[in-house]
Amino acid sequence: MKKIIFFISVILFAGAAVSAQDKYFTKAGKIHFDATTPSSPENVDGVNKSSICVMDAKTGNIQFSVLMKGFEFERALMQEHFNENYVESNKYPKTEFKGVITNNASVNYTKNGVYPVKVKGKLTMHGETKDIEADGKLTVKDGKISATADFPVTLADFKVAIPQLVADKVAKTAKITVDCVLEPLK
Amino acid sequence: MKKKKIILNVLLVVLVLGIGAAIYGYREFNRKSESITNKTADFKVKPLDIISAFTADEKAATLKYGGKIIQVAGLVKKVEKDELGNYTVVIGDNSSLSSVRCSIDSLFSKDVSALQLNAPAFLKGICTGFNADEMGLGSDVILNKCVIVKD
Repeated sequence: MKKIIFFISVILFAGAAVSAQDKYFTKAGKIHFDATTPSSPENVDGVNKSSICVMDAKTGNIQFSVLMKGFEFERALMQEHFNENYVESNKYPKTEFKGVITNNASVNYTKNGVYPVKVKGKLTMHGETKDIEADGKLTVKDGKISATADFPVTLADFKVAIPQLVADKVAKTAKITVDCVLEPLK
Repeated sequence: MKKKKIILNVLLVVLVLGIGAAIYGYREFNRKSESITNKTADFKVKPLDIISAFTADEKAATLKYGGKIIQVAGLVKKVEKDELGNYTVVIGDNSSLSSVRCSIDSLFSKDVSALQLNAPAFLKGICTGFNADEMGLGSDVILNKCVIVKD
């Protein structure tokens, strides 16, 4: 009887250990927003260094949550305009992405290496949800995963209006760059 | 003669106003996101109180605290350093997954070395919002451009 309980315990603990290693996360993911155009008098870009990302290696599901007030711009005025006029961060404080790595089977999470990935999902920003596809890269190194990707976001798709006065100085399509180092969720 | 003088004075006033507006515009355009080190906190809070406020009513708490300077007093749970040398100090109770995460202003990174794990600390920063526990990672209130203060 004791032996049976012991074996059941071993199986349960082993199962828990395996499932725990399936999930990876960070609370300090970096998201870079760049809407610079050739006629911009300076770079129109900001970075958020406190984004949340959770990834399930088993299913390939990947999720991001980004607080819009967390974007830091070099110029204070630009940061104020970004929050107040463009993304309206008081009204829409968060941007979220929920998607899946479509070629997850080609990633060996237990072997160090660089794996090109394709991500497909829904991006919700400024109260609007749109389908997004992006090419990215997962770098597996000693149990940690570095996830990088970049993709364009057309601001009008998310009803982010650029005032006529600065229309040629702010890109209609911003480049979003993702850079996260994910650790196993214990 | 008198008319000429009036026109001249008006032109002078317009010129002074124009130069003033140009200087204001230039300074405003070039204004950097400054450190909050010399700014007074809008609210002084304990981690549990601000986390509870956001948990109870995220919308109301975002309106109250979002974009404001918050000073938090609590125990240092963890100090994280990323690959670029940016520090995040996690303040809260070790028995809970929820915390106040303080992203340190890079100008003040060196001050982090004075902090000790599980010891009390005072930090102030700009509240950027709340990440509710939707992914099993605990709930966090996020403060940006944080500096370490004495009390």
